[in-house]
Amino acid sequence: MIKTLGLEYYKIRRKKIWLMITLFLGVEMLWAFMSITRSIAKNPDHAVWESIVFNISSMNGLFMPIISAIVVSRICDMEHKGATWKLLVATNVRRGNLYAAKYICANSLLLFGILTQAVMMIVFGLMKGFPGTPPIEILLQFIVVNLLTTLAVTALQQWISLAIKNQTFALCLGMLGGFVGMTAGLFPGEARHIFIWSYYLDLSPVTFHYTGSTSLYITQPVGAGIVLFALAMTVLFYIAGSIHVSRQEI
Amino acid sequence: MNTSAIVQTQNLTKKHGSINSVNKVDLYVQEGEIYGFLGPNGAGKTTTLKMLLGLIKPSEGTINIFGESLNKRRSTILQRTGSLIESPSYYGHLTGLENMRVMQRLRNVPDKNIHEVLRIVRLENQKDKKAEQYSLGMKQRLGIAMALLAFPKLLILDEPTNGLDPAGIGEIRELIKSLPARYGITVLLSSHMLSEIDQIATSVGIISDGNLLFQGSMESLRKKGRSAIRLKTGDNTKAEELLLTQGYSLTKGGSRLEFDNLADREVAEINRLLVEHYIPVTRIEEQKKSLEDIFLELTGKERSL
Repeated sequence: MIKTLGLEYYKIRRKKIWLMITLFLGVEMLWAFMSITRSIAKNPDHAVWESIVFNISSMNGLFMPIISAIVVSRICDMEHKGATWKLLVATNVRRGNLYAAKYICANSLLLFGILTQAVMMIVFGLMKGFPGTPPIEILLQFIVVNLLTTLAVTALQQWISLAIKNQTFALCLGMLGGFVGMTAGLFPGEARHIFIWSYYLDLSPVTFHYTGSTSLYITQPVGAGIVLFALAMTVLFYIAGSIHVSRQEI
Repeated sequence: MNTSAIVQTQNLTKKHGSINSVNKVDLYVQEGEIYGFLGPNGAGKTTTLKMLLGLIKPSEGTINIFGESLNKRRSTILQRTGSLIESPSYYGHLTGLENMRVMQRLRNVPDKNIHEVLRIVRLENQKDKKAEQYSLGMKQRLGIAMALLAFPKLLILDEPTNGLDPAGIGEIRELIKSLPARYGITVLLSSHMLSEIDQIATSVGIISDGNLLFQGSMESLRKKGRSAIRLKTGDNTKAEELLLTQGYSLTKGGSRLEFDNLADREVAEINRLLVEHYIPVTRIEEQKKSLEDIFLELTGKERSL
């Protein structure tokens, strides 16, 4: 298994996936920082750490499904393009191990993106002189819930990317996910819990409340039920995908 | 179960819906052989080879490789087997050398193997070029190099000369022919080209519509090519009647009278008989069946090979 995982990192050399994640999320961060800067200019009360966590969480609903789809597709598509799935299986690589290695590889790359986001948020907060020290607990929560949602999203994406050779399907699903993630706040709670992409916002440790004419950022506890639901989706998508792909004839 | 067999299948069948793309095939490949698996396009060659590698599951039948069941000892068997199925597999964004490194990690073989196989397939000067920039022939060579990397006991090659130019075909042919003696590799290769199998293989299996129609040594296949004597006379009807009364059995009448397996003495006797009965003999021809004739006779199809 370790050998298969090592091989995945070897195979993605020259694919520039690290660079792509950095640039893609860099655009998102730039957008978010500009938006917060404008917001603070209008309302100085918004110059708090919670504002940056909430804004990035809500924008992740749009960006993370798309970047997840692209990363997973890049990792899976090279097997389709070079007809290498049969080479690997005929060289005694277990399909389950291969599936797991790709999953771990994709998520480790995306975790790198999420960690970079956290670091950038701290840097931005310090530059803007947000009061107090960086809220480590909130930031850790942000990292964990983003990774948790990403695990489910990539499980679904990997299933589609490996089962269907034409990557247009997987990328379209990613874009659909981005749309759902972006507009999740407009759906009633019960409805949006069906869609995994809305969890970037739902599981956010910070939410935004309007009280009359004012608005404020408040921290919210992460519900155990919704976390379990996200985990269940991850397990379901992963196992279904792994079984389906392993049983496909080559 | 014969223990000297490297590959042995029994009743190997693959059903696709109601159609048997491979039907009760009993393959038998002995150690040190170059076994040519011959058949027209769509005959079931690739499906059979994929089943031997566990890429697809048989609907029925058993597969034994190195005397062990593929079902039970798949991992051990595949460690000693190299393969190239259908088109060559490669990572286009990686160089030829990096593709070999991928295989090296999977096979746990030393660096010297990489350099040796690249030299064998004459890719050592192209090894730093991305595989996607290779020509089809170079990709095929890379595929063969990857299959050869661990110098396996069994090498399964599906149409290995596809995409190669005539010089390349000749080189690969010589390479394959040298493998059993040089490295102790048993080769099972498929092709739809009779001439290729004729020049490389020591044993042959002929498959058509999923059925194994012939299996044996190339020598035994050639022996099927019996010669026929064809006669043309001034009056074929009269000649046919006369020869039948004299106890000669014709395989074909009409414009040409045809006999199978006639000795020279019998040909002279027939000629004498016809001349004595004032039937002019205008042609006496010997026709030997080519391998292609035998193949077409076996498969019953006038397909291009």
